[in-house]
Amino acid sequence: MGDSQYSFSLTTFSPSGKLVQIEHALTAVGSGQTSLGIKAANGVVIATEKKLPSILVDETSVQKIQILTPNIGVVYSGMGPDFRVLVRKSRKQAEQYHRLYKEPIPVTQLVRETAAVMQEFTQSGGVRPFGVSLLVAGYDDKGPQLYQVDPSGSYFSWKASAMGKNVSNAKTFLEKRYTDDMELDDAVHTAILTLKEGFEGQISGKNIEIGIIGADKKFRVLTPAEIDDYLAEVE
Amino acid sequence: MSRGSGGGYDRHITIFSPEGRLFQVEYAFKAVKAAGITSIGVCGKDSVCVVTQKKVPDKLLDHTSVTHLFPITKYLGLLATGMTADARTLVQQARNEAAEFRFRYGYEMPVDVLAKWIADKSQIYTQHAYMRPLGVVAMVLGIDDEFGPRLYKCDPAGHYFGHKATSAGLKEQEAINFLEKKMKNDPQFTYEETVQTAISALQSVLQEDFKATEIEVGVVRKENPDFRMLSTEEIDEHLTAISERD
Repeated sequence: MGDSQYSFSLTTFSPSGKLVQIEHALTAVGSGQTSLGIKAANGVVIATEKKLPSILVDETSVQKIQILTPNIGVVYSGMGPDFRVLVRKSRKQAEQYHRLYKEPIPVTQLVRETAAVMQEFTQSGGVRPFGVSLLVAGYDDKGPQLYQVDPSGSYFSWKASAMGKNVSNAKTFLEKRYTDDMELDDAVHTAILTLKEGFEGQISGKNIEIGIIGADKKFRVLTPAEIDDYLAEVE
Repeated sequence: MSRGSGGGYDRHITIFSPEGRLFQVEYAFKAVKAAGITSIGVCGKDSVCVVTQKKVPDKLLDHTSVTHLFPITKYLGLLATGMTADARTLVQQARNEAAEFRFRYGYEMPVDVLAKWIADKSQIYTQHAYMRPLGVVAMVLGIDDEFGPRLYKCDPAGHYFGHKATSAGLKEQEAINFLEKKMKNDPQFTYEETVQTAISALQSVLQEDFKATEIEVGVVRKENPDFRMLSTEEIDEHLTAISERD
């Protein structure tokens, strides 16, 4: 990829052994809108703030939570355009796996391949790392799973995680509230409460997005009306 | 210890700065403003209208060749605010892409698909060092078969959103403030109201009354989904209506 004139890596080691471009990418993620994910006993929920630059923006034209396969969804913190690229590549990889093996791609495999793409962009010539961290939520034969992938390409499985602006408060909140035997509905309530913690302004179904996957293994994004219902329960 | 500013290259190509910013992308936005033009787009109940200034810097110029408003297909229009050369290359590629889409899939490229394509292309320029971002903000308009009138704005960072109304260029923020007030209660503008809101927004933020030859207006309407640029006479009618209304 890239022009031959740029066949040298832009991400190189500093004298102290760090890859500063990756660190800067993480800073870009840290200034993005807060997102979080929670793995329940019978499903996974991911959620994000959806703060748009103006009331003139048509919020129905924006969807931050994207579906990768019928049973895997993803949300991000950081740079939206970079996220779109990763979504496109991941969808294609999932489809290629399906074509070869005639079965849906396991969550771990898709995460690994996506992470590999992100790592490539930290080493290839003439490109910069992706300015996004991803939270991948899926449900396959191994049960509900939640993975976080960073711009460096490293990924971990989480019981609950948060990223973006309010990450430290959100993670503290999640640590207090998380229990291993949580049900999906409880997880959604906890997700909403966590988002509410750092939310500036009035939270509603129009300025947050929530995606869930349950034992039915079908990932779906909740409608604003459904989110409003959950919000009412939480009040 | 961190190496700091990435060897000074973070201002020359699109690599991250220590604060996690892309300077080249931010400079591209400044280039859009430096062109000195302001554009406005308004989406009504069954029509979309875009308006931009038409500045002809030299009397010897053929004024018909000075334009920022381009038809991409019969049904899709693109208003490019910023550097004209970058705008023309974007338009050329968009026209090609829309024609291939029609050939490949057998139906017209929808507005949001074109907007996404433009935005994804812009994203590549923000990630690969060999091409700089384009100094253009593109407003794409058309009538969607399912969703009706649609207005999208794509910027050099690779963002794209659907808008009820928006602006780009030199007085972008002032125009958006003006439009936010007008669109507050989700008014469903008729065709005439849409056009007149767009034109009067431009007049208001630039604080001057235009002649019909000083602005370009492009529209799409549900009853006539062809993308059309208004003639000087039609623009005059709207300008007269606005001044009589005030």
